[in-house]
Amino acid sequence: MAHPSPPGLTPSEVSFLCEMELVTVIPRQKQDAYTLLGGPTPPLTPPLRANLPLWLALLLKRQKRANIAPPPWLAPAALSTILESETTEYPAAFTPGPALPPAPPSLRDEAASPPFVPTSVVGAADTALPYHWLEMGEILLAGAGDDFEEPDAVRRLLRDLREVRMAKVRAGVEVLDAGGGVKMNGVGGMEIAEGRAFIGGVVDGLRKIGASKEAVRREREREERRVGYRGQEDEEDMDDLQ
Amino acid sequence: MDIDDILAEVDRAGVPQEARDLQSLTRLWVAERVAPEMQPYPEDLMERVLDRIAKQIEAIEEEAGNMDPKTSFKLVVVQTELERFKFLVRSFLRARIAKLDAHPHYYSSGTPYTFLSASERQYLSAHQALLARHYAASFLSQFPHSLQRLDDSAGGVNMVDVPDVDKAVICRVLKDNVGVVAVEGTDVRCDMERGDVWVIRWSAIKERVMAGDLELI
Repeated sequence: MAHPSPPGLTPSEVSFLCEMELVTVIPRQKQDAYTLLGGPTPPLTPPLRANLPLWLALLLKRQKRANIAPPPWLAPAALSTILESETTEYPAAFTPGPALPPAPPSLRDEAASPPFVPTSVVGAADTALPYHWLEMGEILLAGAGDDFEEPDAVRRLLRDLREVRMAKVRAGVEVLDAGGGVKMNGVGGMEIAEGRAFIGGVVDGLRKIGASKEAVRREREREERRVGYRGQEDEEDMDDLQ
Repeated sequence: MDIDDILAEVDRAGVPQEARDLQSLTRLWVAERVAPEMQPYPEDLMERVLDRIAKQIEAIEEEAGNMDPKTSFKLVVVQTELERFKFLVRSFLRARIAKLDAHPHYYSSGTPYTFLSASERQYLSAHQALLARHYAASFLSQFPHSLQRLDDSAGGVNMVDVPDVDKAVICRVLKDNVGVVAVEGTDVRCDMERGDVWVIRWSAIKERVMAGDLELI
């Protein structure tokens, strides 16, 4: 009944999330629009391209009803450029993620975030790895490998990127601190899933070691704040007296 | 309805309600799987989603007899999506139950209690009543009366186990102008910009996550 796995997403849950990302398909058959629970899908008319969630694109692909156009960043040329900047331009951090979607129009509106931003459709940026890059690459290579021009080159580059980035995750452990406060911009979904237990464990462990020191400091800060407020009040009282 | 509402309506016109609900539910599911503490039960959202699921099942039942190959493929698609939705809802609820089971006394009063849905409250009280009866029958009744309580806080030690609210979580900043988040008792000051990903204590960002400024990943 209760959820059996410990907190943190499992790799299959991360790929479940990734399957909600939009990809571009080139339909081979005419299909009407589907009324789905997550909103309607566009009608498919060959040879017009359409953007569909990955799970649906894979289903159509498996039934040979459509081909999937690989995302622009998953082309060998784009991947090598990213790999290049990952090693030379950003030796210590991840390369920044794709440009942000426009801010939500009003503060009350929910902002879009992966997997609901179209970072893997045709026409998306090819200069940055999106949040679900590893999952997207693996799923597409496994499910639609024949839609790639050079699947082996893509596979090799993905593996290189993964190694370079995993080394960065491991190296980043040194900056971890009891309070957290570590910026990990550009990190991928699967990398978080893999690193969460370790990163969380280190931060939580350090916190427990320093707990008593921290408690003393927190107490002092509160005290200072309280005294500070009273000090101000005293001054005001003095003003009143004058 | 003021001008903000009207503007918001216009802006939202582009994205259907269904798609927005899917995004909210997905975000809440991830948060529930990752955070050490439960968040308020999204009453309206769950009602809409469950209602749509029920309608979709009805529609499938009506069309299941149709032998036309085009319709049957359509049914496959609709059913696949239905299963994905059901997984999302189920996993969300089960993650909440796991937290309820881990800290039943913490969630049975005060603010945490208000975060529960009606059926979660029912589950909690029924489960606790069963457990209490079982403990009493098997060993508690043999203890001295003063030692029989399960939520004793005498002697400076509280028996009630609470979730570790200082646990490290990983969050993404969703909005502009979130500002600086400080972790009390440490030197940590995070200047949060939209699109940033931070490792930080849950207790420091809890309110901001519930307000929708940040999301857990």
